Amino acid sequence: MEMNHFFDYQETVSDNGIFLTFSGLFTQEFIIKLGDALRSKLSIFSVDRSLELKVFSLVVEQSQNIIFYSAEKSVQISEQHQNMGVGTITVGFKDNHFFVFCGNRITNQKVDKLRQNLTLLQKMNKDELKEHYKAQRRITPDAESRGAGLGFIEMARKVSQTIEFDFFKLDEYYSYFSIKAVI
Amino acid sequence: MDNLVIARTEATPEIYFDYPTGVLALRGESYPENASDFYTPVFKWLRSFLASDHLDEIVANIEILYFNSSTSKVLMNLFDLLDVASTQGKRVIVNWIYDVENESALEYGEEFKEDIKFVEFNLVEK
Repeated sequence: MEMNHFFDYQETVSDNGIFLTFSGLFTQEFIIKLGDALRSKLSIFSVDRSLELKVFSLVVEQSQNIIFYSAEKSVQISEQHQNMGVGTITVGFKDNHFFVFCGNRITNQKVDKLRQNLTLLQKMNKDELKEHYKAQRRITPDAESRGAGLGFIEMARKVSQTIEFDFFKLDEYYSYFSIKAVI
Repeated sequence: MDNLVIARTEATPEIYFDYPTGVLALRGESYPENASDFYTPVFKWLRSFLASDHLDEIVANIEILYFNSSTSKVLMNLFDLLDVASTQGKRVIVNWIYDVENESALEYGEEFKEDIKFVEFNLVEK
């Protein structure tokens, strides 16, 4: 990165109300530290317990999704750390709302199903989301219950505005998936 | 049987299963990377306990401030297991201990309660 771009970077972060952002390798150990940093940042806003936990929950669910579903892994990591993924997370406060923005590469073959699931969630009202959550919690096999299935529904239930998402095709193998939750 | 004791960490709760009294306590936060793996010893212990004739009553005190979606799945499995036990002659009481300052905590408890049939499931304000 050129020196003059670094100033632009800081301005972008600041103009968007971003107070916590990380891009790179996610592991469970790192998510715990990220959660600590988030809590310390949120204490500055003196938010109530419910709101703090909502933001915390969105950050944990989205970060764990990066570990499980990012198609991008770091080659430098030893085999002991297989559970990791590369992505970006951003947490901010703008127009009186907290938001959590998250992105990572996924394989193209996952795009259609994910788009279908998220579109379904966008159309559901609170009661439908609750029933959907309870039904999925029962039917999802343990081996597949690592996050996304329930995690996205959990997110959809916590937001104050409909979740937004995007898929950007990078090449014949990968797309960039991003999702935004406003609380 | 020995008691089951698992120390609390930042992302996993303290677990204490007291064999003499049949009281299970879960306290803390729960967002392990793989909840199913983390809770395997609890299920193993509970199944042995339920299979024995040691006590007819079991009490689970659950006080989890925050849990991730994979833990939610595991808790549902736990309550299902207890629900089955209560149809087979065990008296099962679950106390869902919630913090009033966290509005989701009561809601989560209510949703578990709606999904089980036979266990005595109490929503207890902290």
